[in-house]
Amino acid sequence: MTSTLGLELINYGPVLLLLLMAVTFALANVVASLVIGPSRPGSVKGTSYESGMVPIGTARKRFNVRFYIIAMTFLVFDVEVIFLYPWAVTYSNINPDSAYHSVFWGRILFFMLTTVVAYVYGYRKGVFRFD
Amino acid sequence: MESILDAIFPIGPQFFVGVIVAVIVIHLVLATVGILVYFERKISAYIQDRIGPNRVGFDLGLPLLQKLFRGFGFWGLGQSLADGLKFILKEDYRPPQTDKILFSLAPMLSVIPALIGWAVIPWGGVIAIDPIVIGGREFVSGGDAVVGAAAVDIGFIFLLAVAALSVYGMTLGGWASNNKYSFLGGLRASAGMISYEIPMGLCILVVVLTAGTVGPNAIVEAQVAGSGVWFIVAHPLAALLFYACTLAEGNRAPFDNAECEQELVGGWHTEYSSMRFALFFLAEYAHLITGSAFFVLLFLGGYHLPFVPGLQPEDTGLLAALLKFTVFFGKVIFMIVLAMFIRWTIPRLRYDQMMKLCWNAMIPLSIALLVAVATVKFLRIDSVVVFILVNLVLTGAGMVLFPKLPVANVNKRIPLAGSRFSPIPGHAVQTAPSGSIARSESPVPEHSSGIISAH
Repeated sequence: MTSTLGLELINYGPVLLLLLMAVTFALANVVASLVIGPSRPGSVKGTSYESGMVPIGTARKRFNVRFYIIAMTFLVFDVEVIFLYPWAVTYSNINPDSAYHSVFWGRILFFMLTTVVAYVYGYRKGVFRFD
Repeated sequence: MESILDAIFPIGPQFFVGVIVAVIVIHLVLATVGILVYFERKISAYIQDRIGPNRVGFDLGLPLLQKLFRGFGFWGLGQSLADGLKFILKEDYRPPQTDKILFSLAPMLSVIPALIGWAVIPWGGVIAIDPIVIGGREFVSGGDAVVGAAAVDIGFIFLLAVAALSVYGMTLGGWASNNKYSFLGGLRASAGMISYEIPMGLCILVVVLTAGTVGPNAIVEAQVAGSGVWFIVAHPLAALLFYACTLAEGNRAPFDNAECEQELVGGWHTEYSSMRFALFFLAEYAHLITGSAFFVLLFLGGYHLPFVPGLQPEDTGLLAALLKFTVFFGKVIFMIVLAMFIRWTIPRLRYDQMMKLCWNAMIPLSIALLVAVATVKFLRIDSVVVFILVNLVLTGAGMVLFPKLPVANVNKRIPLAGSRFSPIPGHAVQTAPSGSIARSESPVPEHSSGIISAH
């Protein structure tokens, strides 16, 4: 009797094995060098390396808001890309003679139109300026 | 006991092959990283008219082995082994002002996705497995299996998910270091990586649309059957964009802004030493291998070579699988060497240029390409020639149009000289942005609004 554990789900088994091996590799290496390597702390050695300058303050400071804007814009586009995968597979396997073919094509045009509107708005707002 | 064995066995052929491939390939990738470091140093040396490492052999400093090899250096091949051993023996120092847990977690979070990203790659096509029967019990049932760690139909979504995970390692590494250089490097790395994920996903979509499937093995078969050309021929623009994205995802030159030595010392791994640094280093090379493997899979026909018997999808023997594996890995090595040539020939892009290239050029181009390919499919004129034409036309249009894009000029700025922070004696002090809406709609006469006289 062949194992029927959740149809294709059993195929993810090797990925778990791989994950286990990768985690073991990472942990073992870090622990090994912590155990084997020497440990000689010092006060000057402990300061952050900022090109030889004595560090002024910490790095826990406010930073440019541009990075937040990039992250938010990325979210919009990335979610769209993920939505498009099912569409791409369905659209290319659909019968060209059926009415759904043009419906699916129209859908992508409309979906992309919303993207373009968002993109143009962002562009006009200067979101994609990085200088 | 019997019932437990009955419940487990026989296991399916795909699971059996997947476990074997997973165990073999993870070691192969780790070993390849070592060789790649040597390659990189040799190639950079030849490009810069040096010799590169040529002394370190495999004698490990032992007199017996030294006598055996008679001082033979193995062309410096032992260099990576020596480097690896050195990483373990050096002090793994953590500066006291860093975040204790995140500082150790970051390199692991960086290396783990890099080591599992290639799980969905079908290295050797399909292999036919005979049932394995030992002592009257069938342990592995017969059938067809894909020579890859995981034969899942959503391979590329797995790739996108895992590639996105490695951003955490860099961001956390930069933040936990409590160093301004590291912090900036981590921010730049994460911003760059997430930006280049979008055109990467769109370029994969173009291929998915052409092939009609997201299964990695099915995409290789689509490049062999049907139109019968590799997708680099049908979609040169998509291939170019995807390759640039894999370079950016792996933080390779010319997109390695996160760790540019002249500005940010080492970027997010400035504070790291010993093995924790080595894990970041390893993750970078593993990403290069994964990215190249996906490029080969999507655009270079995977294991397929035209006109070579034994490398076609119909060949499912063990020998054919090994041969396909070799061809696939050979193509991956070719792409990696290409990436190394690029690293040592093309200068690094500035950070704003890199982001501009992504957001102003690559994303609109890939969206346009996707819509164009969908339209070509709708008009039922999808042939290789039309795809090539669409790609070339879009490339030309991009080259003509992008320099003419108007610069968005919404955020008006007050020039520093002459403002109230840096007044010029005898000049009026400007407090409002020049050309702002407030000023142009103001009922006050033009010359006096927004300007107060210096005291």
